[in-house]
Amino acid sequence: MPRDRPGSAAPPRSSVAISFGSPATESGVGRLDLNEILVRHPQAAFMMRIAGDSMREAGVCDGDLALVDRALTAAHGHVVIAIVNDEFVCRRLVRRGQVVRLQSDGEAPPDRVPGEAEELQIWGVVTHVIRPLAA
Amino acid sequence: MFALVDVNNMYVSCERVFRPALNGRPVVVLSSNDGACIARSNEAKDLGVRMAQPWFEVRHLEREAGLIALSANFELYGDMSSRMMALAAEYAPRQEIYSIDECFLDFEGVPGDLVAIGRDLRSKVLAWTGLPTSIGFGATKTLAKLANHVAKTADRKPGRYPPQYAQVCNFLDLSAEQLHAVLSAADVGDVWGIGRKTAPRLNEAGLRTVLDLLKADVPALRRQFGIVMEKTLRELRGTPCHVVDDAPQPNQQIMCSRSFGAPVTELPTLIEVVSQFVTQVARKLREQGSLAGGVQVFINTSPYRRQDRQHAPSATLRLGQATSDTRVLISAVVRVLRSIFRPGYNYAKAGVLLVDLQQASHEQSALDLFEPGPSPDAPERNRASLMSAMDALNDRFGRGAVTVASAARRPGPSAHASKQERRSPRFTTRLDEIAVARA
Repeated sequence: MPRDRPGSAAPPRSSVAISFGSPATESGVGRLDLNEILVRHPQAAFMMRIAGDSMREAGVCDGDLALVDRALTAAHGHVVIAIVNDEFVCRRLVRRGQVVRLQSDGEAPPDRVPGEAEELQIWGVVTHVIRPLAA
Repeated sequence: MFALVDVNNMYVSCERVFRPALNGRPVVVLSSNDGACIARSNEAKDLGVRMAQPWFEVRHLEREAGLIALSANFELYGDMSSRMMALAAEYAPRQEIYSIDECFLDFEGVPGDLVAIGRDLRSKVLAWTGLPTSIGFGATKTLAKLANHVAKTADRKPGRYPPQYAQVCNFLDLSAEQLHAVLSAADVGDVWGIGRKTAPRLNEAGLRTVLDLLKADVPALRRQFGIVMEKTLRELRGTPCHVVDDAPQPNQQIMCSRSFGAPVTELPTLIEVVSQFVTQVARKLREQGSLAGGVQVFINTSPYRRQDRQHAPSATLRLGQATSDTRVLISAVVRVLRSIFRPGYNYAKAGVLLVDLQQASHEQSALDLFEPGPSPDAPERNRASLMSAMDALNDRFGRGAVTVASAARRPGPSAHASKQERRSPRFTTRLDEIAVARA
């Protein structure tokens, strides 16, 4: 059955939305959804607020909203959320040979090298940061 | 083939995901008025804190043993629960969510090594959500529950069960001797459906372990303990009596009750409190598509305040016509409250229970529209749309944005607001409360 169009002979309908239908819905295509684009593993997706500017070189700034994915296995080069002294810190994971370190990209705090007793605890991998540019 | 998956010390485990400093320390989570311990970490259990123990009884452990008490953070627990449940559901064709922290999975027809599947599920939930789980497999739900108890206990108390059963335990993988050994180490009280009252009576009859129970005379047990016990026994022998129910029945009653931060003596305050309760329960009622045929109201003084005169009345009112209209329910509840309230008592708690719930069919809704309502100002035919508009506004602007006047909070500190002094941030449901990472 042909869909109603303005000017067609079809009787008037009470609702404009119904008479035009939604081409997107009917062809099974939905509007782009940021959740689908940014969140690969919804059950493992968490948000954290970044405090501090030592990761500015990596594009992570003070006040940013960080999207954290716990489903990813942290690898060399990932920006991660790690647990250091019972606190969450954002650092880059760097592996050189056998040594795995947490490294800030800026100058300020020194690299964090876990001591022998201190196991490196990775909480999740930062996949994106969101930073408002206009209110 | 059933599995029971549950989160170890759920509430404490949720807190620890976002507060690493709580790891390895004794932690309890307190009920909504900070009154009783409703969850305990293993360290707190080892200090002797009992389930549901009043906080004032163990408060001294704060200084003496470093016990940490947190107010319940149900938004956090609910969100973490939904993550865990969604992950578990991927592993089996049918899932029954049994409570906030446990679900049954029906593995009928699923090929492969179930223990390996269980270990994979466990490590995925741990990695993705941070929550530790225990998993038990058995031929019936009761056996899966018992296997889960073995998996959890073998992990927590080395020595009671063989260590290879820790975290994931499948009864069907055990030889006859191994199963015999496990069942003779499990207490009757560890069995699903055998409660705190029944277990001592079984012990008196000489039945201490699950193996004792299995050897006992079924007709005699049935005579003494009823049909439920017979079902439990059949399930323990491997005959399924309970199926996985993946379409949960609507709640048969809906309750809201709370202890007050400070004693309440005035009727107007109580009316305000119960009206808020009705607002909440009526909403749940509409969400599950039900109507209430009656309301029950109770108020009580605090049994812990021995110097106070005690009064704990409760009354039920049957409604002429079942309804889900907040305004009708509030007027009924207030009528009951007026009849049971006595001046001069320090009331410590109030509650509202919607009873005699029935499915709202279209016919009933239509009839309901023409039932005379309490308010002559609002045209009755608009009632259903008024209620759904109220729900929508509260969805958009937060609970309590729109409400019936008697439920409106008066300005100033509210006497009955939950204490909730020690609640963690709601890390996953409120943008202004998410965790902070230093950079």
